[in-house]
Amino acid sequence: MHIVDGALANPVVIGGALVAAGGIALGLRHLPLERIPAAGVLSAAFFVASLVHVPIGPSSVHLILNGLAGLMLGWAAFPALFVGLLLQAVFFGFGGLTVLGVNTVNIALPAVIVHYLCRPGVTRASAPVAAIWAGVGGALSIALTTALVAGALRLSGEQFIPAAKLVFFAHIPVMVIEGLLAAAAVYLIRQVKPDLFDSLKGAPA
Amino acid sequence: MTRALVLVLCLALAPLPASAHKVVASVFASGEVIEGEIGFSSGAMAANQPIEVLDGSGNRLGAAMTDADGVFTYRPTVPVRHVFRADLGAGHVAEIEMAADEVAAILAAAGPGGMPLAGPSDTDTAALAAMLRDELRPLRREIAAYKEHHDLQTILGGIGYIAGIFGVGFYVAARRRLAG
Repeated sequence: MHIVDGALANPVVIGGALVAAGGIALGLRHLPLERIPAAGVLSAAFFVASLVHVPIGPSSVHLILNGLAGLMLGWAAFPALFVGLLLQAVFFGFGGLTVLGVNTVNIALPAVIVHYLCRPGVTRASAPVAAIWAGVGGALSIALTTALVAGALRLSGEQFIPAAKLVFFAHIPVMVIEGLLAAAAVYLIRQVKPDLFDSLKGAPA
Repeated sequence: MTRALVLVLCLALAPLPASAHKVVASVFASGEVIEGEIGFSSGAMAANQPIEVLDGSGNRLGAAMTDADGVFTYRPTVPVRHVFRADLGAGHVAEIEMAADEVAAILAAAGPGGMPLAGPSDTDTAALAAMLRDELRPLRREIAAYKEHHDLQTILGGIGYIAGIFGVGFYVAARRRLAG
């Protein structure tokens, strides 16, 4: 999921960095005082989630949790996931510093899309319905991320269809796991701390 | 917070399978040729992987192919910087290089009249060198795997950084609100 240094053409790297900078700026404006701790916790969860590996054939894929971050944070997912990615690049050597922008866009943009598509469902009155919406959001964000990764590779010259297929099929188990995880997390939050979503909704966005 | 903590502890304490989304590659002088190996940080090697050999400015010098163990050899012909590039697909690219003087030393060893040996004969030295390389290969692989190993300190350190960064953000936001 993390694209490494040197895999992409320069225009893609620069374009990704610009979009990421815009997203982070927008995200910081959408991050009021009340939401900073939630963003920090999700950033930390994202940081460690990448260490959970699901072995697939010769390679392996790891959890991303961007769907959950998007549902909770909206645009603020950009700075939260950027921090996680930055530390992953520095500590673990996942991805790289030059492609940080592209990776941020690939992971945070689906989070924001999922936020707009599934957030209304997650704040529904019934907890099971909310959990189903969260599951859809968790899986969808991974699907969108694979599409963006394949797109970035395509713009750099790699054949789109094979690359997209490879990335997409490798991540089907992750989609299932992330969907279940997001559903479980939202169900839990709705049961034990329903005001978490309310207070976030009430905060100026 | 408790949930996050439990999650963190579960993740940190679980016997994690090795990571495979980092490509590990190395090249070294092996007698008259350059030998290298390419694999994933999980320990799986990249078998039958085509490798492009480029010089320092990106001109193509030749190509090589890894065998079933992810090992390839390349016989250099010019004493310039050699860059070995392998595209393993899905954004995994390995790029390793060997400096010009190291390549020149290999060429000198390969060339006629290079390095006169006093004691053992050429064949003995070659056999010895091959033996040494075979002995060292698992060690090198283990060191490469160790470099990719993330221990608890690294993970906790990263989480500490995240707490710190968001703490600073919180501080700034709170100051702004108090001032405003």
